[in-house]
Amino acid sequence: MIALPHYLLVSAALFSLGVLGLLTRRNAVNVLMSVELILNSANVNLVAFSRYSAGNLEGQIFAVFVIVVAAAEVAVALAIVLTLYRLRRTPNLDEADILKG
Amino acid sequence: MEEVLRSLALFHTEIALTAGLMLVVLVDAAGGAWRNAAVRALSLATLATALVFAVRLQVAGAAGEIFSGALVVDPLGTFFKIVLVLASLLLLLAFTFRNARELHGLGQGELFALVLALTLASLLLVAANDLVMLYLALETVSITSYVMVAYLKGDRMSNEASLKYVLFGAVSTGSMVYGLSLLYGMTGTTSLPRIQEFLAGGIPDGNRFAVYAIALLVMAGFGFKIAAVPFHFWCPDVYQGAATPVTALLSVAPKAAGFGIVLRFFYGTLAVPVTSAWDLTGVIDWQAVLVVVSVATMTLGNVAALTQNNMKRLLAYSSIAHAGYILMGVVALSDNGARGLLVYLFAYLFMNLGAFLVVTLVHLHDGTFDLRDYPGLYRRSPLLTIAMGFFLLSLVGIPPFVGFLGKLYVFGAVVALGPGYYWYAVVGAVNAAIAAFYYFRVLKVMVIDPGNEAKPALSLALADRAWVLFFAAANILPLFFWSRIEEWTRGALVLYAGR
Amino acid sequence: MTAEAIVFTVFAVLTVGSALVVVLARSLIYNAFALLFTFFGVAGLYVLLGADFLAAAQLLVYVGGILVLLLFGVMLTHKIYELDLKTDTVQFVPGLIVAAGLFVILAATGWRTEWAAVPRPPEPTTREIGGLFLGQYLLPFEAASVLLLVALIGAAMIVRRRKDA
Repeated sequence: MIALPHYLLVSAALFSLGVLGLLTRRNAVNVLMSVELILNSANVNLVAFSRYSAGNLEGQIFAVFVIVVAAAEVAVALAIVLTLYRLRRTPNLDEADILKG
Repeated sequence: MEEVLRSLALFHTEIALTAGLMLVVLVDAAGGAWRNAAVRALSLATLATALVFAVRLQVAGAAGEIFSGALVVDPLGTFFKIVLVLASLLLLLAFTFRNARELHGLGQGELFALVLALTLASLLLVAANDLVMLYLALETVSITSYVMVAYLKGDRMSNEASLKYVLFGAVSTGSMVYGLSLLYGMTGTTSLPRIQEFLAGGIPDGNRFAVYAIALLVMAGFGFKIAAVPFHFWCPDVYQGAATPVTALLSVAPKAAGFGIVLRFFYGTLAVPVTSAWDLTGVIDWQAVLVVVSVATMTLGNVAALTQNNMKRLLAYSSIAHAGYILMGVVALSDNGARGLLVYLFAYLFMNLGAFLVVTLVHLHDGTFDLRDYPGLYRRSPLLTIAMGFFLLSLVGIPPFVGFLGKLYVFGAVVALGPGYYWYAVVGAVNAAIAAFYYFRVLKVMVIDPGNEAKPALSLALADRAWVLFFAAANILPLFFWSRIEEWTRGALVLYAGR
Repeated sequence: MTAEAIVFTVFAVLTVGSALVVVLARSLIYNAFALLFTFFGVAGLYVLLGADFLAAAQLLVYVGGILVLLLFGVMLTHKIYELDLKTDTVQFVPGLIVAAGLFVILAATGWRTEWAAVPRPPEPTTREIGGLFLGQYLLPFEAASVLLLVALIGAAMIVRRRKDA
């Protein structure tokens, strides 16, 4: 019998994997993917709670908005990554980071 | 339908901003020789109209839920609205594409549209009455800020800063959503008043851990917005990398909006009217946690600022420290505390915008943000130096400047909590003293240090001179209107929380 | 094992397994495609939870939009794996410990807590969601358009190459 805790387990796994990715990955696109994992884990939570705990669709609506925001965020983030890539595309790949910390 | 029409009557400020935003986008897209001037005029008109509507709303003292509970109108929210619209209006008036050297040659229409969108989203954030609205508004403010920071796309440092900002922000708000989802699961609703009712009914012991988790995760999102420790890491780099007018706006608007929602969330949702209006649901000792965050924030900000030479980074760390002081108002968890927060934010608006204006003007004429290039400024432009002196002394919190008012109220609110909190006020005072070091250092460099004699005097444009004088006056005059301000903030303390 | 349990296990394993690949694999292309399977897995979980509209939205937006965007980004900057755009990272093992600890804490929280218990039997949601968007959640629905406008203007402005006036 599948119940709420099973879904929460899946979302906890997704969240933790997202955090792992963002702690250990060096590439900005990889970090972005980890963020998407985190957002998806929150969404799974929302939909699972909507089904088992809240009895209403508010969680699903919230999840739709999370998806919308995620899309907007990825668009802006990738635009910045692309610009940075263009600016940095020099042979000197181990140029030191301009910003400290 | 009636609900929507009724709500629209209380929604004039936001409608004005939305209409202005759309017009600005259309006019900018239409092109033409007068495009830039038209867009600027349109933005200023929009913000002025919005300000008038907001003040009218405050005077009318309206309160109630609108749009089926998505937003709430109350005097507290309206206070924040006035501060936010005023911040954007003053920003667009004082900082122009002419006097901000970093912005020379860049497209103008987009920035105006972004400022209007940021203001609109902040207004929605401080009025949010539902988790969905809260998240959406917070993210709109954030994403608009990311784009504004990335405006200087030809500059590598600016790009790195904006990337750092996006990634850090996405993680913080992503964690916050996870926390909010847990809150939804526990209460079965996304409406803040109903969450409050549920929490007021008591929480079973087994749920303690979940509440801790929710608290931590939600604080990640809020802490990021107000740049509190340990979610402040993005702040110095972003402030340094963004164009100075953008930095000036970021240091005031999103921070104020963040504090608005912190007040509403902690006081309105997590607080329970048991003995007074401000008792927190007794699961976590919120005050203790906030005290720790506040102390860490102000200390880190002040200590780090001591060694900064880049004016923008210095002001960034100063900003972080001030968030720590403002948190004292949240900790105080009383009418006095909330009032302290409001006064401080109001004062902070004028101090910070003024300081950043001076930094921008120096950069315009000298092309530098480095404090080590500031010596001799007193000889070259007494006006700028004296005005900067006003702003710096205000930031320190010395009377008769407006910054003193802010500090007086928050320290007073903490002291009023009782002897157990005296140490906290002392820590605050010590921090203010440490801060005085670096503020005075800037002043000393400008006034006393001998500069390069060959550098010519700074001739400021009339408009620039006028705005510097305006901000200088704004840092001194409010003290004469002390009682008015007190009245205003007292009236603003009505927090409509579904009651 | 009921059919529901089998299907759940399949989707759960697909989701978490792909997420592992996203986080651990070396090549960016592997990461992107693993992310694709993660999104599919999540959509499957939504269907199991009775969220039919959301599952379709997930596929349309996440897979059809966000993932495609990520893939474009990966391919247009094809040497990007040589560029370290983020330098402050943690060694793998400490990161793993933190993540594992986090998982244990969150899983325990999920298991132990008394969540609200008002179940909602699965039924088609599209009509009701539509009603909510035009009723109770009208304002967020409209406000989202401001967000999308800003993202559109912003992304386009950041990326375009032409000299601005």
